[in-house]
Amino acid sequence: MFGPPVAVISPAGLPVERGKIHEFACSVYDDDPLYHDLDAAKAAGLPSVVAPVTFTSTQALFSDPMAEMSALGDLELNLMFILHGGQEYEFERPIFAGEVLTPHAGEIKVYTKKGRRGGLMKFVEIDSHFTDEKGEIVLRLKNTLIQTQGVVEK
Amino acid sequence: MSESIFDSIKEGDEYTIEHSNFSRTDFVKYAGASGDFNPIHHDETFAKMSGNETVFGQGMLTAGMLSVVPSKWFGATSVKKFGVRFKTRLWPGDNVVFKGVVSKVYTDKDLVHVDLDLTAVNQKDEVLISGFATCRPWAP
Repeated sequence: MFGPPVAVISPAGLPVERGKIHEFACSVYDDDPLYHDLDAAKAAGLPSVVAPVTFTSTQALFSDPMAEMSALGDLELNLMFILHGGQEYEFERPIFAGEVLTPHAGEIKVYTKKGRRGGLMKFVEIDSHFTDEKGEIVLRLKNTLIQTQGVVEK
Repeated sequence: MSESIFDSIKEGDEYTIEHSNFSRTDFVKYAGASGDFNPIHHDETFAKMSGNETVFGQGMLTAGMLSVVPSKWFGATSVKKFGVRFKTRLWPGDNVVFKGVVSKVYTDKDLVHVDLDLTAVNQKDEVLISGFATCRPWAP
């Protein structure tokens, strides 16, 4: 949500690149050769190195954070009190370097629940998915945001 | 497929990855890799102004490291589902155990599927995140 890119890719796409996969896998301390070594990936019968499970987080580097913020504002969320509650992934197949994925917004569900300390918490579940260059869905995501009534003491 | 982890896996099997002494550099590396440049994760001055003792790690860093449990255990192409719930924060100096436990082994469309319960727990026995994964063999 922070660190606006100098330029936004339009139409918004997510290039899955070998160097970025290497950097991302290093940042989560994953030394599996299938993320780093093209020869190892080819030897395993794969088209290229594999994108790590949470790799699509790198979309932040290509999308407009101000647009995201304003979308949250449209949901009447107070950005001061928002927490990332959860994140879910469902893969149709692995994602490989060399692909360009297209993000698609899906359904948004909003509901409230009583928190452990009695305050009302607003939950926002945001569904989205990525398609490949053939237009087929490769990954479905669910992002859950939680808005508390005030500063969360943890 | 030849011999695979899926042939011998059973309910209750465990796999852990430990990471000691998380550093501010870890947070900065993840910021650069992911594009999450929220200053609360790297800028001490900003973090303190926002009422925190110091900077803390991105939730998605902990999540990304937890996802290494299913991918390392069952293979980088085998993760079908992965999900996390964020509970508490990751601080510099933390030692974290990332753990997976097999909750169910079953066959779906002739493929062995394995459901896992996942946790990332710090040195104070606090759960940073809990999660789940489903793995199955995948061939190109």
